[in-house]
Amino acid sequence: MEIVKEFGLNPYLLAAQIVNFLIILYILKKLLYKSVLDMLKKRSDSIKEGIKQAEEGRLTLEKALEEEKKILKKAQDQSRKIVDDANTQAVSISKEIEENSRKQAEKILEEAKRQIEQEAKDTERRLSENVTNLSIELIKKSVGELFGEREQKQLIEKAAKQLSKKK
Amino acid sequence: MVSFAAEPIFRLGFFPVTNTVLDTIIVDVLLIALAVYIKKNIKLVPGFIQNLIEMAIETFYSLTESVAGERASKIFPYLMTFFLFILIANWSGLIPGFGTIGLYEGKERTFVPLLRSATSDINTTFGLAIVSLVATHMLSSTTLGIKEYLGRYFSLNPINLYVGVLEIIGEITKVISLSFRLFGNIFAGEVVLGTVAGLSAFLFPLPFLLLEVIVGLVQALVFSMLTMAFMAILTTPHHEAKEVSAK
Repeated sequence: MEIVKEFGLNPYLLAAQIVNFLIILYILKKLLYKSVLDMLKKRSDSIKEGIKQAEEGRLTLEKALEEEKKILKKAQDQSRKIVDDANTQAVSISKEIEENSRKQAEKILEEAKRQIEQEAKDTERRLSENVTNLSIELIKKSVGELFGEREQKQLIEKAAKQLSKKK
Repeated sequence: MVSFAAEPIFRLGFFPVTNTVLDTIIVDVLLIALAVYIKKNIKLVPGFIQNLIEMAIETFYSLTESVAGERASKIFPYLMTFFLFILIANWSGLIPGFGTIGLYEGKERTFVPLLRSATSDINTTFGLAIVSLVATHMLSSTTLGIKEYLGRYFSLNPINLYVGVLEIIGEITKVISLSFRLFGNIFAGEVVLGTVAGLSAFLFPLPFLLLEVIVGLVQALVFSMLTMAFMAILTTPHHEAKEVSAK
């Protein structure tokens, strides 16, 4: 008991300190710890949510980039095909035009040759007629004084026959 | 000479209002003000004070979780309140004016300081130790169930019964060791500071003040950590403890 008195142990003070601590414990539990722990949880949840959303965003972006690549590749393939088709078509049209031109040129040449031949024949025929006429005139003039009318006629007919044979 | 017992300043009927009771009220006001301030001003993006409090609470909660697992939510309020209350009470004794401003009483004109650190009073430390013990056993009985809880101390097996008796003595010792360790350290600190300040009031006491700041923090940690350890041990079911020791 001497020690208790020496240290000042007092049942009222002891009880008061116990009650005081329990009250403080209750107040801090309700006001401080609960609100801080709730806030920490809320913050942790919002960070987790943020990370989750960022991850989702990253996946969406990756997907969009993949899609973009696919579309770009498809467009490139299509454009290449169009260019190839156009080239093939151009070559084909060019060949066709060349062929047509060649055929037309041949036709024109043929026609020209035919016309030239015709012209040559006509000229030859006209020349032959002129020669015949001139020959007959020449015979008429040269034999008119030597032979009678009947002999002249026979001679001219004979010469005409000979000339027409030579033609 | 500083007396072991806290000095009464005045009386409220039969209740002696001592200088340590006045300090207890100051500590209470500070803690309640802090709690109300945090409750009213808590934000998702914390300010300086909220950040400091959150850091302390998160650290202690994680520590409790690592020791007690899912029982952390029950143990944590005791641990944190013991720590905050003891820390502020310990450090309050270092505020200039504590232990130095007072009255001369009686015929012998004994100096009675108006304020004295709450933890330099055995009533406070003993009271805290009793709360620690009772709370530990209440948590243990509610967590384990009355049968398993009583099974720790009482058994038909004479060896286990003997161990149980030793356990009960151990529990009483816990109260004594917790309360006297805290009381002794803080009271001794006050005596040392008083003596040093008596030798030289300027500069000389500064290293001792710094030492007492560390002692105050360490003692608050020791009390709260021991309480947490006792609670964690006594709330661990027997089969779980076996599993842990097997690992």
